[in-house]
Amino acid sequence: MVVEGKKGYRFKPYSMVVERGKIKEFAMAVGDDNPIYYEKDAATKAGFKDITVPPTFFTVIDMWAGPNFEEICRELELDPVMVLHGEQEYEYFYNIYPGDEIKTVSTVQDVATRTGSMGGMNIYLMETNYYNQNGQKVMIARSKIIERVRGQRNE
Amino acid sequence: MLAPRSLKELGGKGMNKKYEVGYHFPSLTKPAVTKVQLAKYAGASGDFNPLHLDDRVGKEAGIGGVIAHGMLIMGMAGEAIGSWVPRISLKSFSVRFKAMTVPGEVITLTGRVVDKEKTDNGSLIICQVEAKNHSDEIKLSGRFAALL
Repeated sequence: MVVEGKKGYRFKPYSMVVERGKIKEFAMAVGDDNPIYYEKDAATKAGFKDITVPPTFFTVIDMWAGPNFEEICRELELDPVMVLHGEQEYEYFYNIYPGDEIKTVSTVQDVATRTGSMGGMNIYLMETNYYNQNGQKVMIARSKIIERVRGQRNE
Repeated sequence: MLAPRSLKELGGKGMNKKYEVGYHFPSLTKPAVTKVQLAKYAGASGDFNPLHLDDRVGKEAGIGGVIAHGMLIMGMAGEAIGSWVPRISLKSFSVRFKAMTVPGEVITLTGRVVDKEKTDNGSLIICQVEAKNHSDEIKLSGRFAALL
């Protein structure tokens, strides 16, 4: 199968400047009204030097600056209709502020093929490392992407 | 890295009791998910997968209509976590997606402290977080760690 060949696949690096307005827009879309995402005063009282980002904000960097869903499917040869987001994990190392320029390195760490009660599936473990303009690794994201395999009985 | 000393100041009185193993954080119930919210979230996050925006595509996929972005529900869990522990203390956050969410569903986030360990930089608490709908269907379950 082709899936094993995708282990170690490296996406084209992408980068994005974190904008104050984008942080607010994202927090508002989630409905998260924590003032540390909107007001500098509230953020500094909470120990930050400026407003910071909600814990899942990095999806904005991936989706706006990185390959979109169709491109990921094309690069990994996934069937878009059969793709599920199984798991998502973040590890945080440094705070992120408006004006930070975040660069990424994104790879397929592992691939596996399983047969379960729901039929076959291909599992992709992706890892993205995020670096700021000072070269500090601010965060790691790991995602488990599941591709269900269409009826493969006695074909 | 922030010194633990200032976190104590931020946490105020009663902080230590609050973060003991077994402590249940106050649950957070969100307003019902709406299609407008999915449109807002798509624009904010950049995830324009039509499964979240176009009922026709949801019907073709056999789901009956649009479904919420899983990451929106994780975002709601992130909001709850930010209300439970100081945002600056959050060290890791992971979830497993269990079920799809459709417009009209009301999501409630619950969490509790499951472990606590002393480190050189303070106390690290390991907590569980869950998102459920009004009929207790689990949408996602996960863990987060905070250094206090």
